[in-house]
Amino acid sequence: MVEVSTPTRWALRLLAVGYVFFLVAWPTGLLAFRTFEEGTANLLDTLREPDVQAALQLTGKVALLAVLINLLFGVTISILLVRYEFPGKRLLSALIDLPLSVSPVVVGLALVLVYNSRDGWFGPTLEENSVQVIFSTPGLVMATTFVALPLVIREIVPVLTEIGDDQEQAARSLGASAPQTFWRITLPSIKWAVVYGVVLATARSVGEFGAVKVVSNNISGKTQTATLMVEEKYQNFAQDQAYAIAFLLVLVSIACLVTVALLRPKTEE
Amino acid sequence: MSTALSGATIDTTGPVSPQGRRPGRAKRTTPRNTLTGGAGLGLGITMLWFSLLVLLPLSAIVARAAAGGWDSYLDVLRNDQTWAAVLLTVRSAAIVTLINIVMGTVIAWVLVRDRFPGKAILNVIIDVPFALPTIVAGLVLLALYGPNSPLGLNWAFTETSVLLAFAFVTLPFIVRTVQPVLEELDADVEEAAASLGASRLTIFRRIILPSLFPAIIAGATLSFARAISEFGSLVLLSGSRPFETEVASVRILSFIENGSYATAAALASVLLAVALAVIVVLDIVQRRVARRG
Amino acid sequence: MSIDITGVTKKFGDFVALDNVNVTIPTGQLTALLGPSGGGKSTLLRIIAGLDSADEGSISIEGADATKLPPQKRNVGFVFQHYAVFKHMTVAKNVAFGLEIRKRPKAEVQRRVEELLDLVHLSQFSHRMPSQLSGGQRQRMALARALAVEPTVLLLDEPFGALDAKVRKELRDWLRRLHDEVHVTTVFVTHDQEEALEVADEIVVINEGRVEQIGSPEQLYDEPANDFVMGFLGEVTTLGGVVVRPHDVEVALQPSGNGEVAATVTRVLRVGFEVRLTVTTETGEEVIVTMTRSHLRQLGADEGTKVWLSISKGAITVARSGGVPATV
Repeated sequence: MVEVSTPTRWALRLLAVGYVFFLVAWPTGLLAFRTFEEGTANLLDTLREPDVQAALQLTGKVALLAVLINLLFGVTISILLVRYEFPGKRLLSALIDLPLSVSPVVVGLALVLVYNSRDGWFGPTLEENSVQVIFSTPGLVMATTFVALPLVIREIVPVLTEIGDDQEQAARSLGASAPQTFWRITLPSIKWAVVYGVVLATARSVGEFGAVKVVSNNISGKTQTATLMVEEKYQNFAQDQAYAIAFLLVLVSIACLVTVALLRPKTEE
Repeated sequence: MSTALSGATIDTTGPVSPQGRRPGRAKRTTPRNTLTGGAGLGLGITMLWFSLLVLLPLSAIVARAAAGGWDSYLDVLRNDQTWAAVLLTVRSAAIVTLINIVMGTVIAWVLVRDRFPGKAILNVIIDVPFALPTIVAGLVLLALYGPNSPLGLNWAFTETSVLLAFAFVTLPFIVRTVQPVLEELDADVEEAAASLGASRLTIFRRIILPSLFPAIIAGATLSFARAISEFGSLVLLSGSRPFETEVASVRILSFIENGSYATAAALASVLLAVALAVIVVLDIVQRRVARRG
Repeated sequence: MSIDITGVTKKFGDFVALDNVNVTIPTGQLTALLGPSGGGKSTLLRIIAGLDSADEGSISIEGADATKLPPQKRNVGFVFQHYAVFKHMTVAKNVAFGLEIRKRPKAEVQRRVEELLDLVHLSQFSHRMPSQLSGGQRQRMALARALAVEPTVLLLDEPFGALDAKVRKELRDWLRRLHDEVHVTTVFVTHDQEEALEVADEIVVINEGRVEQIGSPEQLYDEPANDFVMGFLGEVTTLGGVVVRPHDVEVALQPSGNGEVAATVTRVLRVGFEVRLTVTTETGEEVIVTMTRSHLRQLGADEGTKVWLSISKGAITVARSGGVPATV
């Protein structure tokens, strides 16, 4: 490798570290600092509020459901895309990525247009069968599932492609049925990719704000998730509480990042 | 991890198919349909789910936007406040993307080619904007650049805050697309160029930069798309003042909250078109790279 | 007969991989499917295993029609070129896989795994992961895994193709000896004629989706059906439109009047104990001749020497465009 002169290297290093420090590290650190400025009392008091507990529970429930749905369909779509040929495959593969570049507000709007009970495409029919989607938990789950949809697939597809189908064919030739091949061979081979995908989808699901804001009517204890509560608390001048909840959300994100960072090298042996 | 979140994977090697390694079947052209019974059912259920969740709702936006005809569609964009929001969004996204092209490449270079204590931490911090909830990102930026800034700055509710929020949420894109390509870059080629008498600057300009170009384009495209559609981090930080700091997504939300879905859908369809354009650009870049590789 | 392949045709898009192939593979023997890359031999093997399906034709194994059977019901052992080891399982678990799928009792599985690992000389590696084995060891493990289920037929797809030359040769001898021990009907695909000639009882030569010839190694070598088979099994050159092996071309300094061809030595190349002469006839035909060094010394020819070429008595020849072998 061609070496770069020492002054240039130092200048680039300083530029990179400085930029990241001022843009990400210091602000994020400051949030933690503000949360604990007056000890742990603020965080603990905030956590004791029933509204806050309800919001955290709702976020947990919505994220769990969204991740499970994305896990199930993510694995299925990945296998279909990698192992099979069918008309429209390339289109599907391209559309899978769409949620990554669509504004969350647009995602929310899209769901509202189809599922709102006033003039949505399916909303009124569902309402007659007493299913409410928008302004209710199903809407929150759908919005969250939508935005986190590509994450599991994007982790699994490259791994499935790389391992090839030799092992699966060997298993078939040794007498394994399709389900046996999936559980004993395919799934163990893509295990880590599935874990990463789930961790990433969890981080995204817990933190979703825009799409959820559109499909939620922000009723505390019913449709108010943790991120929505951060906004409300901050705008109602309960900044300490906003910081406390935000800090919890940061912890979840950092935990997800660290999990992936620690797991990642294992599979690259 | 980040490539997944960023949506940016440049597949330089192309799919490694077992057929590729099996000389006896090298000439095969893939049949159009290899679905067996179970897989066909799986595809059916999956497509139903995907349609209900993604395809139909997104079509509903286009349908709603088109329902009023071309004139009412243009009227939405001709509204001064909306037009100001669109201009602000596009301008800020473009500026931030340019910043990212430079800073993203520099950071990727430092992460791959430099060695210093704490580099691993820098590597993890790059991903923080991906994992952080956007509303929290706004709050985090307010802590340093808001009213109580220890730096004595107050950029909250100014146009700068929009740039700041965009820069924060798009930081990882170019870093994470360029980094793997830089890692794969053959040191031999640089050494060969050096042995042929090329200076460091020439090597960078003639050898390294062209190899990174597709990755930079891909990262820049994603970064632009993400900035255009950003919402959460601006809610607390920019104050969303009409004509000053209101971006397109916020404008859509206020249309939704007023119940004017048709107007919201019209503006949303513009953002949707940008998202589709991004996918097309990425597909083309990927095909180019695959063909060269 | 063990495997009957009748009228099998397979197309991938416009590409015809197999064109009306009819082959019968005898029980208990080691049969090689030999041919150049892309000739369709791997496809045929995969169709026998049920990993690909034929567009037309039928396959029967041990007299039972297997055309529509999925791979897991054919009771075949398949060994892949790139081993296809189960990376997340130990060596012993890999070998036990097929038996566990068949829900055999634990004790039996364990006994059988030990037996097989012993057979392939991997007993001391049973608790290792495949990533800790060398290429040759992995392929032996894959072979044990395929044999564990007591398959009716054992199919090997370029089993030694990914190994280096020395290991390849060792495994080749070992496979021959192993087959003498277990006697399972074995079909292996190779593009290496030396491998086929050395190991197989019977060779099926396949080219461009068609069977060119079936026979024992001796038959193929001594009575090639056409110039393709002859060319594929060894080096050939042409003299006067006749395909012949380079060591079967006689070189003389004087004509004896038996229809020899006048030519000039244009190049002399020494390769080990052998000498390769390029000899150009008056009609411009370039003929390759090989002989030993001492023969060349006796002959006393060198570049530029005028010589007379003839095909030695008893040499195997075929007409250039294919056809019946003719003995001179």
